[in-house]
Amino acid sequence: MYIISRNIVRFIVVIIFQVMVMDNVMINGYMVPYVYLLFILLMPFETPRWMQLLSGFALGMGIDLFENTPGMHTAATVLVAFIRPYLLDLLAPRDGYEPETFPRIHYYGFVWFLKYTFIIVVIHHFMLFYLEVFQLKDFFSTLLRVILSSILSASTIVLSQYFVFRK
Amino acid sequence: MRTLIRFIQKYSNLLLFILLEIIAIVFIVQSSNFQRSKLVGLNRQVTGYLFSKVDGAREYFSLKEVNQQLAYENVELRNKLGQISELMDSATVVSDVQHSIHYFYVPSRIVHNSISKQLNYITLDKGKKHGVFRDMGVISDQGLVGIVLESSHNFATVIPVINRDFRLSVKIKSNNYAGILQWEGVSPQQAILTEIPFHVNILESDTVLTSGFSSIFPEGIRVGKIESFSLEKGNFYDIKIKLSTDFQSLFHVNVIRNYRQEEQLNLEDRTR
Repeated sequence: MYIISRNIVRFIVVIIFQVMVMDNVMINGYMVPYVYLLFILLMPFETPRWMQLLSGFALGMGIDLFENTPGMHTAATVLVAFIRPYLLDLLAPRDGYEPETFPRIHYYGFVWFLKYTFIIVVIHHFMLFYLEVFQLKDFFSTLLRVILSSILSASTIVLSQYFVFRK
Repeated sequence: MRTLIRFIQKYSNLLLFILLEIIAIVFIVQSSNFQRSKLVGLNRQVTGYLFSKVDGAREYFSLKEVNQQLAYENVELRNKLGQISELMDSATVVSDVQHSIHYFYVPSRIVHNSISKQLNYITLDKGKKHGVFRDMGVISDQGLVGIVLESSHNFATVIPVINRDFRLSVKIKSNNYAGILQWEGVSPQQAILTEIPFHVNILESDTVLTSGFSSIFPEGIRVGKIESFSLEKGNFYDIKIKLSTDFQSLFHVNVIRNYRQEEQLNLEDRTR
């Protein structure tokens, strides 16, 4: 029960923080760090897959409504919510994840969390930016934006672990 | 039947994933409908309120800049006033105010602004209540900003120049040739001007103004300056324009209400 209510609160906080604060932070003129992925990243290991998908959908919808974008964040967030369990299997330590732990720096260390965050963020940004352009004309300039924005988002997310979600 | 159920059970997550993605893609494909849907309309009321709160704080921090802008505008207006009063002295003035007003300006504030996307939108704090409707032009004291897309009771959304869907007829000041202004999605400071034929002489740092062909904007509103041009695609120039409006620091804008727009459009419809 405690975990569920905690995740609901995190869901709301992450959306508000993204829209009210992060969207106003523009690095280099037009790069926005998308930290709302934190919600997907920090969901407990045991969350049922359908639940992960639905919460990814709801999260993307929420961001889309505030950002005035039609469905792009939804599509990208649902994709990472789908991929996350497979990625977690791939990155699992030798004896698996211990019960009663969460996917956090606190439990699994900096390198693990950075790898995990970066892969999720890159997949998300790739989907998001190409959907936004919706054509392959500017393939390489979009790719550059994907890479730069991913570095920005991933580092913001990892840093947030030391400041906000410190345990 | 049993195999079908087993199949669904086995791949339920994959199927759910595909279903959700299809919903999202449908939204994207029907993006213009999405912008107009009831859900978004309702949401605009809520987000408009929230954004206006956040912006109250943001506006406070940029007071100095805004003051400066207003001071500049004041000086400019005073100069124009001087010219007009001189004219008034030497000519008889028609006193029929109703018929002499052509453009009316509704001052408004930006409550939400995005510049980092391909399809950027601006939200204003003025809506139908204040006489802001679809297809009205929006300018700032720096120059062209965009066109009103939709308005609700208290808020309105604007397609700015820096949106991939934006198109407007503009002209080059020195020779009056008109072309189409578009945005490539690269930088919020730069747009492109197309459909200027190759035989026209153009110069770098020529000023680009609105052409007044569209009935949305009056003629001669500043758009930007020509930054560079090339002749790559056959018969037309590829012109890059540095926009005069700095979308990042934009706060106060004016919505233009053209009192003769309806008349003009009606006449043009009848002619066709």
